[in-house]
Amino acid sequence: MAQKNKYKSLILSNLIIYGAAIILALGVISIFVAVLGYNVLEALRTLLTTSFKSSFGFSETVKKAIPLLFATYAFTIPFMIKFFNIGGWGQMLFGGTMTVVVGLTLGPLGLPSIVMVPLLLLVGIISGGLFALLAGFLKAKYDINPIISTIMLNFTAYQFVNFIATSNIFRDPNEGHPITRRLSESSLMGFFGEIPASIILAVIAIIIVYLIMKKTRLGFEITAVGHNLTASETYGINFSKTIMVAFFIGGALAGLGGSLEMLNIHGKLIEGFAKTSGAQYGVFGILTSLVVAGNPLAVPLAAFFMSVLLVGADSLQRTMQIPVEIVFLSQAVIVMFIVIIRERYGKGIK
Amino acid sequence: MAFITSFISSVMVYTTVYTLASLGILISGRTGVFNVAGEGIMLASASAGFLAAFLSGSWFIGFLAGALMGAFFGLILVFVHETFKVNQFILGICLVIFGSGLSDLIYKLVVGVRLSAPIAPDTPEIIIPLLSKIPVLAGFINQDIIVYFMYGAVIISWWFFYKTKIGLETRAIGENPKAADVVGINVSRRRYLATIIGSSIIGVAGAYLTISITKTYSPDISAGRGFMAIGIAIFASWKPQRAIIGGFIFAFIEVFAFQLQILSDKIPYQFFLMLPFISVLVIMVIYRKHIEFPASVGKPYSRE
Repeated sequence: MAQKNKYKSLILSNLIIYGAAIILALGVISIFVAVLGYNVLEALRTLLTTSFKSSFGFSETVKKAIPLLFATYAFTIPFMIKFFNIGGWGQMLFGGTMTVVVGLTLGPLGLPSIVMVPLLLLVGIISGGLFALLAGFLKAKYDINPIISTIMLNFTAYQFVNFIATSNIFRDPNEGHPITRRLSESSLMGFFGEIPASIILAVIAIIIVYLIMKKTRLGFEITAVGHNLTASETYGINFSKTIMVAFFIGGALAGLGGSLEMLNIHGKLIEGFAKTSGAQYGVFGILTSLVVAGNPLAVPLAAFFMSVLLVGADSLQRTMQIPVEIVFLSQAVIVMFIVIIRERYGKGIK
Repeated sequence: MAFITSFISSVMVYTTVYTLASLGILISGRTGVFNVAGEGIMLASASAGFLAAFLSGSWFIGFLAGALMGAFFGLILVFVHETFKVNQFILGICLVIFGSGLSDLIYKLVVGVRLSAPIAPDTPEIIIPLLSKIPVLAGFINQDIIVYFMYGAVIISWWFFYKTKIGLETRAIGENPKAADVVGINVSRRRYLATIIGSSIIGVAGAYLTISITKTYSPDISAGRGFMAIGIAIFASWKPQRAIIGGFIFAFIEVFAFQLQILSDKIPYQFFLMLPFISVLVIMVIYRKHIEFPASVGKPYSRE
């Protein structure tokens, strides 16, 4: 009975926090919009309804929500053991780039789609995972703060994207910008109507993350280390190993996200992707994860809501000439408020 | 000789950026506030400082605006942390995102899109007679006033932390805030002061990028230097006299990589651009045994 009441109050306080978060989000954005002299009601309506007014808006939202989901996981899983993986961006770029490298290299072999697509996704998963593992390793072995190492790796990955997109082997000679050749048809993933097929992998990832975290020993170890390091070490959990595994899983998910972007959305590596939408997913992945306080189970919904705001922000810029930066900087303010509320009134809420 | 002198001269320009930024980080770090928002502060100050300098026509007002913008960020960081005990790293990350959004936003609002980019007024140079004729040494001293400001800031903060009683007390807060509190030091007030002063120094570093180095604004101008400054502060074991050495090393790598990029066509230039970031990690691995941290850095303190 006590257990049941505990759950009830947990759900209630979470509802209050998320409710407050949404109200705050809209409030802060409204203030910025009003200060700059735009029509607040129209801006809010555009921001919230663009995703649902047309099938184009909805499919855009789903297209953004999928990579955002993976970027959010990339931060969330290491955050469960209190480490900051700022490298979701870099891991996504590295996973995506390696996918294109392998895809273009194997392209001439003419392998069927059923072999190519899973293989390339695996390349994305593994390379993203290994790229993050590097940061986990530097922490476990040399005690280097992952905030620093993942940020440095981000910039390294960015240069790597640039290197591949401009290299003579992969570059498309007909393009003025650094863009690689297009992947062969058998490497690409299709669409259900306007919804990208990558949604299947997003759903699978959501289920697998749930199962790992709730039903396996590994998930238990990660949760235990996050709650109480000393106790978990006494229990025999290897801290260094847990760090590295958590970073690997986070990076692997980011890498998968990058891979899906390449196979399902772009079909090639575009250098500009790194600085525009790619960077956006990296940043908003962190913010989304902070909103849900590192609770992996709440990630899908939060990522979708964040994606609604992102699509709305693009539309604000297009239709009302409101700079997108307003929405971005409001997000940072909102997350700060949510963290304060949680710190202050939500002790023990996970 | 002339080549070495001019090489050192451009290294010193970037040394100023790195050193000021890491100095700002280590000053607040000494009281236990780990400021990871450097990148966001530099971006916001680069934009605000440039706009102020451009609109007023005065380099000084530009740097003042940059410093004030930095102080504003420092105030948010320390206020939210001290009042609500929110994790400093989370706050720092939020402020980085806030700063990068703010920098583009205010530039767009004030300047908008123009055919030719506006140019900042000149920053005065100080040429010391006679000494400036000596090769190599000339590279260190034939510089604008902000480079001298950096020399001064390093010397003053070294003197403050190691030669004054208040400095010793301030370092004590970083090591053990409870003990400092017991002997009557106002921990919270020191943290406010250190974070605000430190952040405004980071703001000067940001303003220096736009007002003096590029003389114009472009998005994402600090390009990760605010993050590398964290690495330098750690490498320097939070000591001002070592921060300038760290700043020099990374500036050297950056300028050197840039020169190589022009000279060499065998190795793709992207690898030279990666070099500064990879060196941060390599240097931290090599020097990890010599790195000391203020014991309380990053941790909240409340009387309980």
